[in-house]
Amino acid sequence: MGHTATPEAHSSGPTATEHRLANGLRVVLSEDHLTPVAAVCLWYDVGSRHEVKGRTGLAHLFEHLMFQGSASVKGNGHFELVQGAGGSLNGTTSFERTNYFETMPAHQVELALWLEADRMGSLLVALDQESLDNQRDVVKNERRQRYDNVPYGTAFERLTALAYPDGHPYHHTPIGSMADLDAASLEDARAFFRTYYAPGNAVLSVVGDIDPEQTLAWIEKYFGSIPAHDGKPVPRDGSLPDVMGGQLREVVEEDVPSRALMAAYRLPEDGTVEGDAADLALTMLGGGESSRLHNRLVRRDRSAVAAGFGLLRLAGAPSLGWLDVKASSGVELADIEAAVDEELARFAQEGPSPEEMERAQAQIEREWLDRLATVGGRADELCRYAVLFGDPQLALTAVERVLAVTPEQVRAVAAARLRPDNRAVLVYEPTGGDAAEEADDSAGDAGDNDASTEQEGEL
Amino acid sequence: MSEQAAVMEFHPQPQAGEPKPWAFPAPERGTLGNGLTVLTSHRPGQQVVAVEVLLDAPLDAEPEGLDGVGTIMARALSEGTDKHTAEEFAAELERCGATLDAHADHPGVRVSLEVPVSRLDKALALLAEALLAPAFPEDEVKRLVANRLDEIPHELANPSRRAAMALSKELFAPELRCSRPRQGTEETVRRIDAAAVRAFYRAHVRPSTSTVVVVGDLTGVDLPALLGDTLGGWTGAKAEPRPRPAITSDDSARVVVVDRPGAVQTQLLIGRTGADRHDPVWAARVIGTYCLGGTLTSRLDRVLREEKGYTYGVRAFGQVLLGSADGTGAALLGISGSVATEVTGPALADTWQVIRTLGEQGLTDEERDVAVQNLVGVAPLRYETAAAVAATLTDQVEQQLPDDYQADLYARLAETGTVEATAAVVNAFPLDRLVVILVGDASVIAEPVRELGIGPVSVVA
Repeated sequence: MGHTATPEAHSSGPTATEHRLANGLRVVLSEDHLTPVAAVCLWYDVGSRHEVKGRTGLAHLFEHLMFQGSASVKGNGHFELVQGAGGSLNGTTSFERTNYFETMPAHQVELALWLEADRMGSLLVALDQESLDNQRDVVKNERRQRYDNVPYGTAFERLTALAYPDGHPYHHTPIGSMADLDAASLEDARAFFRTYYAPGNAVLSVVGDIDPEQTLAWIEKYFGSIPAHDGKPVPRDGSLPDVMGGQLREVVEEDVPSRALMAAYRLPEDGTVEGDAADLALTMLGGGESSRLHNRLVRRDRSAVAAGFGLLRLAGAPSLGWLDVKASSGVELADIEAAVDEELARFAQEGPSPEEMERAQAQIEREWLDRLATVGGRADELCRYAVLFGDPQLALTAVERVLAVTPEQVRAVAAARLRPDNRAVLVYEPTGGDAAEEADDSAGDAGDNDASTEQEGEL
Repeated sequence: MSEQAAVMEFHPQPQAGEPKPWAFPAPERGTLGNGLTVLTSHRPGQQVVAVEVLLDAPLDAEPEGLDGVGTIMARALSEGTDKHTAEEFAAELERCGATLDAHADHPGVRVSLEVPVSRLDKALALLAEALLAPAFPEDEVKRLVANRLDEIPHELANPSRRAAMALSKELFAPELRCSRPRQGTEETVRRIDAAAVRAFYRAHVRPSTSTVVVVGDLTGVDLPALLGDTLGGWTGAKAEPRPRPAITSDDSARVVVVDRPGAVQTQLLIGRTGADRHDPVWAARVIGTYCLGGTLTSRLDRVLREEKGYTYGVRAFGQVLLGSADGTGAALLGISGSVATEVTGPALADTWQVIRTLGEQGLTDEERDVAVQNLVGVAPLRYETAAAVAATLTDQVEQQLPDDYQADLYARLAETGTVEATAAVVNAFPLDRLVVILVGDASVIAEPVRELGIGPVSVVA
C-alpha cells in the first residue's frame, strides 16, 4: 500500500473558507503567508460543452474578448494594469469551464479583484465588432499554430470526435472549427455573456498572503452589486454507456515523421473512486519510464520512440484515456497494437503488483504537491472542486483519496474499461517526403505559453 | 439596452497597498572534501525539493564527429548502475515519487532531480549512483542511440525547432560547436557506442569541476550528512575547468526560407548574437526587449496581434548561449512567432516598421516604467517554487556569474533609465544585421519577402 510522503503536511496543510454573496457568487479563501504573493482565480461554469452546433469555439473566442476591455478598463488595460503591478495573468478554456487568473504581489490583490469584477459586470459596454474580428483572427492563428501546422496536431480533435458521438456535447474540442469561428457574430458573443457570465455561475478563489476579512470586504465591494441573473439552460446530458461496445478506427495519411498508434479509451468520470483508480492504472501502464508500456515497447521490443497514456479528466461525461505511441522506423503498427493489447489484457488479469501501486501513488502524490506548491495552483484546484463537484475542500484531500485506492479497484477498472471494444483508434501512416539529415535545437521557442495542454486554449 | 437596466456600482481603480519586502535568496556555498561545490537554499513550505547538478562536460568537449555523445551520456546516466539495471533504476526513482532529467548543452551537462522532501535521502542515493557509478551497458546505449535516431525526423518536422536549427547553422561558422544541432545529426549519432560514452564520462565527469544545488523546505533535514553519505563518496582526479570557446557570428542581413510546402503558417525566427550577462548592458537590454516584444501589450504584438490579427503572438527575447566571465560568451537575441502564410510579407514589413519607429522615437518613460514594474514585480511569483530558484542558482554557476547576480539584477533593472533601455534594444536589433529564418511554404512567401528588400533571400529544402 502507498504511504503518504508528507503526513505532517495534511494536518498543518492549507485550509480554505467558503462564502457566498447575495448575487450568488461563491468565494473561497485560503491563507498562506510564506511568500508575499496571492492568486485570484475565477472559474465560470461554461466550456465548449455548452456550445451549440455551428458555433464551436465560441467559449474560447469569448475568453479572448474578456481581455478587450470593460466599462472602466480600456482596450488591453486588463493586461497592462496587472503586468504593470508586477502580476502575471491568463485565461484558459476547456470542455467544462473557463478560468481567469491573476497572480499578484500581495499588496496588489485589490487591483485584480477590481478588474475581474469590472468585466463580470460590464463587459458588454466595451465589446465591439472590431475586437471580435481581431480576436477571431488571433484565435484562428492560435488554431493554426497549435494544431494545424504541427505534425499529429489534429490527433486529439480527431480522437475526441470518434470517442464522443456526433451530437454529444464533448464531440468537438474547445478550439472549434475555422468555419464556426468565421460564423461567430457579435450577437452570439453578447448572448453568450448574458447567459453564462453571471455571478451565480462562477466561483472566485483568492489564495496566498491575504487578510481574509479585508479580502472578503473588497470582494463584497466590487462584486456585490453585480446583478444576479439566471438564464443558464440545463446543459445537455453528457452521460454515455460505460463502454463503447465496439472498436472505432480512423486511418490518417499525412506528411508526419513516423507511424503512430493513438487510441482513446472511455473511462469513469472524474470525482469517483473508479476515476482515481483509472488514473493509477494509466500511470502504471503508461505514465513514465518504469511503466509497463514503456518497458515493453521502448525498452524491450524497441518498437517505439515513445509510448504513454494521458488522462483527460471529465466530470460531465466519461473521462478519456489517451494512448500515444510513436513508432520506431520500420516497425509495423499491427505489431505495436498486438503488444499493447497483450499488456493491457495481462494487467487486467493479474492487477498491479504492490511495487507498482507504491510507485504510481508516489508519482501522483508528487504531481499533487507540485500543483499545490504555488498559490495559483491551489487557487485553481479550489475552484475546480467547487465548480465541478460543489465542494472546494475536496481539493485539500485529493491525495488521500488516491492513496486509499486498492489494487483490486485498479484491476477492476482496467478489466472493465481498457478493452479493445471500448476504444477509438487513430492510426497515422506517413505519406512520404524523406527526412533526416540534421537534428534538434531548442532555442528561439520564447513566449509564455508553457501551460498549454491539449484540451485547453489559452488566451 | 435591457441587460444594462440593472447596473453594478462602479468604483475607482484601487491603489496598491504597502509592498512587502522580498529578495532573491542568497544561497549558502560550500565544498565537500572531494571538491564538489555545494549551494543550498532553504525555502519554507516547498515540500518538493529541487536538486540540480552541473557537470563541466560541455558540447564543445565532444570528440570530432561524435556530436551527440554528451546527450547520450546524459541520458545513459540513469540507464543502469553498479547496483541497478535500467528498469530497476527507473522503478526505484519513481518509488520515491521523484523525477530525474539530464541533458547536455553548450555550457555542460545538467542533471535535475525533484522529489518530496520526505524521500530526499533515497533519491539522493540514486542520484549519486547515477553520477558515480553508471554502468553504461552496451545494450542500453545501443537502444538510446537508436531511439535518438528515431527522434530526429520528429524534430525536423517541428517548425520552431527547424527554425532554430537553421538559425544556428547560418549564424555560426561550421567549426563552432554551436553551429550544429545540440543532440547531434544522424551521421554523428550513428557512430556513438558505449565505448565513446564511457570515454566521454571518464574525461569530463568528476566532483572537483561539478556543482550541486539543493533548494526546498529543508526543515529537519541534515543535508551535510545526506550529501556526505551520497555525493561525498564521489572520487576523481582534480582538474581545471575547461576553457570556454569564444563565440563569434555572422549576422549580415539575409533571409533563409526553409521550404515546408503546404504550411498554413510561417514560423519566423529573426536573430543575431550579442553580449551575455557579464556585460553591463544586460539589464537595459532586458527592459528594452520587454518593451519591444515581451508580452502581448508590447510593441510587436500591439501591431501584429492586437491590431492586425496576423499571429497568436510574437516574442522578442535574449537567451544566453554560453556565458563566459572573460567576455567571450554570447547570447542569442531573437524575435520569434508564427504568422499566417498569406500575410508573411506584411507581418515582416510591420516588424521592420516597429523596430524602425523604436529607433527613431525611442521608448516612452511610461513604457519603461511598466516594464520595470513588471520585470521586478513578478520576481516573488516567478520564484515561488524550489525548482525555479534552483534553476536560476544553477544558471548563475553555469554562466560564471556570482551567487548574488540575480538579486543584484533586480536592483540594476530598477536603476535603468528610458534612454539606456532604448539604446540597448535598438543596438540589439539593427535592421541591417538580422538573420531571418522563415519555415514555411516557399512558393507563397519567398516572392513577397524578396520585395521587402530586407536582405538576400535563399530557399533551402
